[in-house]
Amino acid sequence: MRKTAGSNEVSVNMREILPLLVGLIVSTISVGCQQPAPDSDEQADGESTADTESEGDGDGDGDGDELTECEATIEPGPSPIRRLTRVEYNNTIYQLLGDTSQPANAFPADEVAGSFDNQAAALVVSPLLAEQYEVAAEQLALTHAPALMDQLPACGGGAPDPDSCTADAEAFIHGFGKRAYRRPLTDDEVAVYVDLFIAGTDLGEAAYDPQVGVEVILQAMLQSPHFLYRVEFGASDLADGGEDVVPLTSYEIASRLSYLLWNTMPDASLFEAADANELQTADQIEAQARRMMDTPRAREAVKNFHRQWLGLGRIEPQIAANGKNPDIYPDYSDELLSLWRRETEAFIDDAVFEQGANVEVLFTANYTMMNKPLADFYGVTGPTTDQFERVELDPGRYAGFLTHAGLLALYAKPDRSSPIHRGKFVREILLCQSPPPPPDIVPEAPSVDENQTTRDQFLQHSADALCSGCHRLMDPLGFGFEHFDGIGRYRETEWGLAIDASGELIETDNDGPYNGAVELAAKLAASDQVKNCVATQWFQFAYGRTQTAEDSCSVEEIQADFAAADYDIKELIIALTLTDAFRYRHVIGAEENP
Amino acid sequence: MSIRKNHRLSRRHVLRGLGGAAIALPLLDAMRSDRAHAGPGDTPKRLIIMYTPNGTVPANFWPTGNGPDFTLSPILAPLADHKQDLLILGGLDLMSSLKGPGDAHQKGTGSCLTGMPLLEGDFAGDGGQSAGWAGGISLDQEVANHVGQHTPFASLELGVAVQDPANVGARISYRGAGQPLPPENSPYAAYQRLFGDSIADPLAVERRAARRRAVLDAVGDEHRALRDRLSGDDREKLENHLTAVEEIRDRLDEGVISFGGECQPLQQGAFMDPNLVSNMPIMGKLQMDLMAMAMACDITRVGTIMWTRSVANHVFSFVDPNITEAHHSLAHKGDEDAPKVAQNTAINAWYAEQLAYLITRLKAIPEGDGTVFDNTVILWTNEQAKGNNHSRYDMPYVLAGSAGGYFDTGRYLTRPEMPQIPHNKLLVSLLHAMDIDADSFGDPEFDAGPLSGLT
Repeated sequence: MRKTAGSNEVSVNMREILPLLVGLIVSTISVGCQQPAPDSDEQADGESTADTESEGDGDGDGDGDELTECEATIEPGPSPIRRLTRVEYNNTIYQLLGDTSQPANAFPADEVAGSFDNQAAALVVSPLLAEQYEVAAEQLALTHAPALMDQLPACGGGAPDPDSCTADAEAFIHGFGKRAYRRPLTDDEVAVYVDLFIAGTDLGEAAYDPQVGVEVILQAMLQSPHFLYRVEFGASDLADGGEDVVPLTSYEIASRLSYLLWNTMPDASLFEAADANELQTADQIEAQARRMMDTPRAREAVKNFHRQWLGLGRIEPQIAANGKNPDIYPDYSDELLSLWRRETEAFIDDAVFEQGANVEVLFTANYTMMNKPLADFYGVTGPTTDQFERVELDPGRYAGFLTHAGLLALYAKPDRSSPIHRGKFVREILLCQSPPPPPDIVPEAPSVDENQTTRDQFLQHSADALCSGCHRLMDPLGFGFEHFDGIGRYRETEWGLAIDASGELIETDNDGPYNGAVELAAKLAASDQVKNCVATQWFQFAYGRTQTAEDSCSVEEIQADFAAADYDIKELIIALTLTDAFRYRHVIGAEENP
Repeated sequence: MSIRKNHRLSRRHVLRGLGGAAIALPLLDAMRSDRAHAGPGDTPKRLIIMYTPNGTVPANFWPTGNGPDFTLSPILAPLADHKQDLLILGGLDLMSSLKGPGDAHQKGTGSCLTGMPLLEGDFAGDGGQSAGWAGGISLDQEVANHVGQHTPFASLELGVAVQDPANVGARISYRGAGQPLPPENSPYAAYQRLFGDSIADPLAVERRAARRRAVLDAVGDEHRALRDRLSGDDREKLENHLTAVEEIRDRLDEGVISFGGECQPLQQGAFMDPNLVSNMPIMGKLQMDLMAMAMACDITRVGTIMWTRSVANHVFSFVDPNITEAHHSLAHKGDEDAPKVAQNTAINAWYAEQLAYLITRLKAIPEGDGTVFDNTVILWTNEQAKGNNHSRYDMPYVLAGSAGGYFDTGRYLTRPEMPQIPHNKLLVSLLHAMDIDADSFGDPEFDAGPLSGLT
């Protein structure tokens, strides 16, 4: 057992706090098998699979009383300190130094919780990562110090005057430090860096080496917790209407905005607004958010969200790892994988930013984005170059991202489609519901049989009471995609046999039968549950944590704004910048006992 | 963190003493006491852990016979040359993985070295289950806390094709609850980390070290100041980060590893992609070479090698070109699916072959009257017993090496079916083998002392 008091505290804290952070994400809506699942050696947590749709899914409860209560109280929920992800580190280094070497690619992978790599509770700094921060900082300092010396003119020449040189260094520390720390440095911090500069000038090959002084400043700033984490204390005065709640400072808001909308540090305009303390009111924040939304970097951040939420980032490694059977899919090659990912990314990007599309359109659009190699794969005409362009599709067959080859091939087997995995994807990722776990002993799936459709082979699931209890939640959602084979291409028949792509939505807010992916997509598009699921996922991505009970007002506000904007994704992101959860935090120490 | 005592002659002092003049390498050997050649009674013990996932094929894993009279199974056959060095342990159950949050693979991986259930968290498991990191310190880190102060690196975490996502299924080592240590997949990066200073220009190394001291002192102060302003989990996070910074800082005062005797530079060959599954055989050997050399140079005495990860979907076509299905998927085939069971057996036998290679490497390093292997114990662990039903009873544990004569090897120990025996007892036995006093390890529910009959 652990022997030090310190590490005992760790376990106590983690154990007490984590369940709170886990919050609603899984528990909001979980579905239960109506028939008993087989026994397993797992812990008996079957109770948690009961329907608990009551909390937080705000459709239909916009009555005045509750809103008033929300308006009267400020409740930001938890604000855990957030470590930069690898993407954020690379982007920040680029903004800070114009460096394109992407040093964080050499770091250990970011820990992934839920669907996302930016969840505060999971991101830790191991000794290995700390060493890699050091190595990256040294390399960046070596690379960029020479050019930065231009900002210290008194340090140039043959025999610089140390006092004048130090004065220039101090100015550099103020300027560069503010961008690295994303706020002005305190006097004490500046003094430490001045001392470090002076010490550094003594550590070069020459007797007095100002460039080494700048190098050590860079090394230290790039390993500072104020650079590596998003540190927030909030303003000094308590907010009215909140218990132990403070508004975030304008600098803190600037960072929240830039890392949410751009996955990088604030730009000059955000710094200016923060300098003038003009990121305090909702109007000020919204104006900045709208300006930022209208830039290419916002499109990258939205792409980052979808890559993680839908699993687009897994298309290449996962399919490449498992392969596709060349006898059954001779047209498959690994070169298709990045095209598949880019199709869905390009489609969502075009829909959201060029067409102003809402969530429904992502599900129902009858166009996509392709280049020539991809069009050749799909067997459609149009694109003649490697550039992705808009291609109209047969609306009887295709609907939005749901019928994209990459996702359908990802949720498939090497030699066949997989109604189970596709149905599970719809249930878990799009409806935010968790089917209970499979039993420990799962019978072998039948091998591919050229005399039987995949659907017929999996009828066992509805025939066998042991299976049907849970598989009824997945298979009838996955059968809708049976016109798409294991590499996501449309097929009229399977082994010459007729395809039955009918299915049924159950235990959702929009239950009922459907036939084929297009009808399934339409039913999902019309579902409030799907829209709330999208909002929930964005909440998690934006705030680096799952929803908690304290977030009910913020969630309500987000969902109301989302609905009012007819489910425009950009408006959802704007709404995320206007909540209590985004603008305020608990006083440090106070959040221990909310 | 200044507990680490520096018994070595600091390179800094030597360089200063010589006025910074160029120094021939042989002189540097004197800067480091060579424990690999230390006298009797001063021989360091080492612990190495090898993790492979997805369970085994029990029918083809367990030997026949028992005690000293046993015959190796198809999976263990590659270890034939080392049969007298093995202690094969039947009848142990991964009971700490039968409680708490998470799915079977998550729990098996998180508790295999911690003996603790997992924390709550958001790592998605099967069927909507979820879990956080493991809930306590791992065996290797507990040992490192006791013996790590003698070496520049308290422990070494290596991986072979440990694929993303980085979550509880991809980590076995923990500094404490919720504090995982990631394995390094690249033998090239790991070599640079351990030996980079040894193969670089000594003056350049010293100049860089001087800068690092100045920088890390400032960075450490800043971490301390920030930590003191935070509370709860945030404070813990900064505390852990600070510990890492302090370790790096302290290492600067330890001098540089110098080659000599059995401690020699490695030739790693042309660069190959460490993440490609088809490169696993080569990457695995490079990592084991590195682990053995780290022990020979006394850079560390505690190491883990994580082969792939829980639910690994690597296709082991390099073991047999007929294998086209991913490991986890193969592991789930029913017992009656003879061809697939044979393939899964081949994969596990290949892992046994890797263990045999590591043993051979360690046996090739003389130490005292014997070899480094004589003073080492290797634990081969899995996160499941049986892949196709997630059973975590009767875990396929193998010990190799006696840890300086502590274990009485060359035996296959079977145990009665009942009562269940928590694997925590094995973890306690390993602590004892490393001369660490402990009555229990991990979940207090399984507070039952060491295993009997191993010594």
